Order: sequence, then C-alpha cells, then structure tokens
Amino acid sequence: MTPFEVKDCALLTRMSGLPPAINLRELRERIAQCGENVLFHHFCETTLRGTFDNPDYRNDFAVWSKLYLGDRVLAERLGILDPYAFPSLGELRAATLEVIDERLGESTMIPWARTGDELFFMEATTVVFDTGIRISHPRELAASIGSMTGGSVYFHFLEARRRPPLGKDDFTAWLLENGDGEKNRPYIEALTRIDFYFHTLAHLRKELIKVLSALEDTK
Amino acid sequence: MSAPLGAYEGIVGPAVLRELRLLGEKLTGIRVVHVNSTREGGGVAEILEWMTPIMRELGLNASWEVINGTPRFFEITKAIHNGLQGASVEIPVKGWKTYEDVNARNFRRLRPVLEEADIVFIHDPQPAHLLRLCARRKGKWIWRAHIDISRPFRPVWKVLRSMVEPYDASIFSMAQFAQPLPHPQFLVPPSIDPLSEKNKDLSHAEIDAVRSEYGLDPSRPLLVQISRFDRFKDPVGVVEAYRLVRKIAPVQLVLAGGGATDDPEGKAILDDVMEEAGNDPDIHILLLPPDSHKTVNALQRMATIILQKSTREGFGLTVTEGMWKGKPVIGGDVGGIRLQVVNHHTGFLVNTPEGAAHRIRYLLHHQELIDRMGTTAREFVRENYLLTRHLREYLTLMLVILRDIKANMIEV
Repeated sequence: MTPFEVKDCALLTRMSGLPPAINLRELRERIAQCGENVLFHHFCETTLRGTFDNPDYRNDFAVWSKLYLGDRVLAERLGILDPYAFPSLGELRAATLEVIDERLGESTMIPWARTGDELFFMEATTVVFDTGIRISHPRELAASIGSMTGGSVYFHFLEARRRPPLGKDDFTAWLLENGDGEKNRPYIEALTRIDFYFHTLAHLRKELIKVLSALEDTK
Repeated sequence: MSAPLGAYEGIVGPAVLRELRLLGEKLTGIRVVHVNSTREGGGVAEILEWMTPIMRELGLNASWEVINGTPRFFEITKAIHNGLQGASVEIPVKGWKTYEDVNARNFRRLRPVLEEADIVFIHDPQPAHLLRLCARRKGKWIWRAHIDISRPFRPVWKVLRSMVEPYDASIFSMAQFAQPLPHPQFLVPPSIDPLSEKNKDLSHAEIDAVRSEYGLDPSRPLLVQISRFDRFKDPVGVVEAYRLVRKIAPVQLVLAGGGATDDPEGKAILDDVMEEAGNDPDIHILLLPPDSHKTVNALQRMATIILQKSTREGFGLTVTEGMWKGKPVIGGDVGGIRLQVVNHHTGFLVNTPEGAAHRIRYLLHHQELIDRMGTTAREFVRENYLLTRHLREYLTLMLVILRDIKANMIEV
C-alpha cells in the first residue's frame, strides 16, 4: 500500500482588514461580507490558535456572544453549529446569519459590547510541510499519531475535510484508497464515530489513539 | 546567552523541535537582519538575544543590529513611545528632525547589511525611518510593533504611520493592539524563555534563600504581584484586596517591581502604596534592581497565588511567567491577561479589589483547585507561550512573506 505521508502545518494569523464588530448588527454585517478564509478561521482554526481552548463553545462568534454581548441564548445557538457538517462555507455562513437574524428579531434592543471588547476579524495562512515520516500500515496509525505535533493532527484530521475528497479526513481517505474494502473498514468506522468538532486538539489526539489502539487490542 | 535549541527538548518534546528544524531547512542561508535600539534591557532585547542565535543554529544567516542614538534622540523616541500608547505628547518639528538624522547616521553604517538582506525586521518606532532611507533594498521589510498602539495620540501616529506604511508587512502582539495599515498585519504574541534566569527551575535552597532575605513566612499563604509601580497595575487595589482577605486568613503580600524612583509618576504611586500599606508587617513592598531575575523567579515560585490586577495591560508576560511556575493567576479583565487567564481553568479575571479578594478567599479554601489550575496554567504556557512557538511563527512568517504574502495555504 502507498505509505501515508505525515505532514505538519503552522498557522500564521493576520488581521482580515474588516473593522471590528461592537454589536450584534455589526457582527451580522461582517459575517455577511467577510471572506471564507475569515469564516473558516473563526469556526475551525480556533482549535490550533494560541488561545485557551474554551470548553464551552468551539467558535469565536459563540464565545464572543456569551462573554461580551452577554447573550447566552445566541451563544448556545451559535455554539452548536458544526462547520464540518455543512457542505460548503457558503452554507455555513447562511446558517450563521439565520441564527443571528432570528435573534435580532427576538431582541428588543441590539446587544452590544463595551469598548475594548470588540470582536476582531482575522484569518490565517496555513504553511504545510512534509515531516519525512511515513506510515506504511494502519496498525502503525495509533503510535504515529501519538508522536505527531498538534499541527499534524489538525492538518490530517480537521483541515483535510476542506480539501478533496471533501468532508473526509486524510487517514480515512488513505485507508479507503489503499484498502481492499473489508480489511480497513474497522479503522474507517472507528474514525468516523469520533465526534471531533467539540474536542480540543489534545482530547482529539487522545481519542484517535484510543479508538485506533482498541482495534489493535481486539486482534 | 541563550541555550541551544536542543536544550528545550525536555520541555517541549522532540516533535516541536523537529518542526522548527524542518521550517529552518526551508530558509537555509537567507539573510535576516533584526534592528532595534538597545542591546540590553527591555523585552525586545531579551527576545533578540535568544532569537538571533537560534535562527543561526537553524541555518539562517541571521544578525542583530542596534542603532546608536544621542540622549536627545532617546528622549524623543520615549515621547513617541508614550504618544503611541495614548499619552498626549508634543514632539516639535525639530524633534522629528533629530529622529530622522540619527536614523540617517545609523543607515550610513548599516547600509550594506540592510541593502543585501532578504528580510529585515525593524523593531518598534526607534529605527522605523530606516526603510525610507534604504532605496536600494532587495528584501522584504517588516515592522514589528511590540507596544499597544490601539489608541494612539493621533499627531504622533500620523507621522509614524507615514514611515510604517511602505513596509511589506507589520507584526502586532494582539489584534487589539493593531492599527489599520495598507499592508498585511500579522499577529504574533510574545513568549517567555523557560531556561532564562527568570524562568528556569530553582532549587529549594535558592528559593529558601530569597524567602529568608525578605523575611517571608513559609507556613502562611503568599500573594505575589510583580510589576512596575504604575497606576495601571493598580498596586493600591491589590493592597485593598489583601486587606479584605487578611480579615479572615493569615496571608502575606509581596508587591515587587523596579525602576520607580527615577519616574515622577512611579514615585507618586509608590508613595500611595506605602501609605496604603502602613506598618503592616505582612505587606512587603520590594523595589528591585532591573537585573533581579532570579529573585523574581523565586518569589513567583514561592507564591500561593499570583496577582496581576491591572486596569490596563499589554500582553502581561508576568502572568505568563507566573503560570509557567504552576500558579493560578487572579488578573485584571484587560488586554493580554484575557488570553491567558480563563475563569476556573487557569485562574480568575476580576474587575475590582472586592472581586480579587473574593477569588483569593475562594482559592485559599480549595487547595486542590490551586494545584489543578496551576498544572493547567503551566501546560497552557507550554503549548502557547514559550519561545519555540514564537520562533515557529517567525519562521512561518518569513516563508509566507518570501513566497506569497496573501495566500491562504502554502506548501513548502
């Protein structure tokens, strides 16, 4: 089988050029007009960014709504949006705007944040590089993931879903390409069952190792 | 002198170093020049002291140049610095002329190295004018702002902005510190060096020596705030919080900082703190010389809880340092403290002396939380705020700027 090429990535965050949002209406306007890379950053790259993994919500809009707009209802509705469940970022944007519009319709006043608590819109460049490490058999996956950087785990398991084949992580894509159908099925099913979006990167790595190691133990 | 990269393996693990070496390989031989205005003292010099040799170790042709200035030049750049941080300062036309003349004099000396460099990092406002002078530059020029310019005094920013706009990119520590500019603005938070005098592990004997020196009681809880005697660090509020706690718990307080006596405002704040402290033997106000790194390290290590009750703050590296020593932090809900202190995880964010007192009392009643938050805090710093992450972002930035500054993804 073709060896799996372990890559690594580093994120470089930059300002998007959009003005910051100070209230819910501005949040709506910015989300409607921002580039998809900005949307992806605030929904997905939060996992890899150098900030604390807030265990409440995985996207910046939900966190900001809770902490600075003080709108817990909105935070809960935004927090449950799973960006990987949408076929495209355009549809994720539409769903996000729908949640905000619904909340604006319910509100008697526009929730706003104090000066200094604005939401800044950012995006990132992902720099990808080959580590030179190769995995030649599915049974090596668990051990390899254990020694990967967070960047590698993110790139192969999360960021991969943005690249063709869309919606699939790199490990699954490799197992599908290189398997005879049945042999790799337990690995593919184990990877599919992981509820990955709500994990921090550290938890995700542990979960990957756990489910893949369990397969080896049952053999 | 900084440690070689290999010395950090035990702290960050081999994968992180492998990542840095792989990135370094892609940049082998490129000429990188850092320019700032001081070789010693201050955060920028501390960063360049480790960054330049490690970049060299990774195969980059990195150098660090320092501009020389007259006392008048540094008076003006201090005023520029204060103006960028929001102070209303007046810089006469003659002052800007001095600023430009000193830059021009330094340019004559640095010209060959600046013209030939592939990447030039200009740190802070002092050498910012060099770009205008270097008409025959070949490389990319990046302005690195280490300070918070979110609410600058406009007349100062207007002049400096005209010097900074032609750069290829700029770097800020946080989104909140940035200003709109016509080029990409990257975000790279600062970091600490875990092997430096201020952060390296200390023996029990070393810690005990500092404890004895300042007459601190090892059997009672200790609250420590390390910071300049500056109104925005709210040392008086810290004493108020201590008093609220002292009514029910036998705590001790250390407020340690330096450099107040030659700063008129600092002296006034120090006097206020002394007055507020009165004759309480459990309040220790320590005026430390600037090189007291080991003392600061020991004080942070012997603390039960670290305080940083600022009302305005830059990134707040003293918070990072305290967290690296495995301590929970009770910090002001401002600036970079917010990026580091997360309620119930690494400490608590507070807005008042009462809030600080409440959280101190809560933690003193829950030793297991102090331990758990301390462990989380240390791991959080290990992941996010050590120099290895800082270096990775600089290497990444150089790859991006040399390949395609506006790309979403670059494979190297």
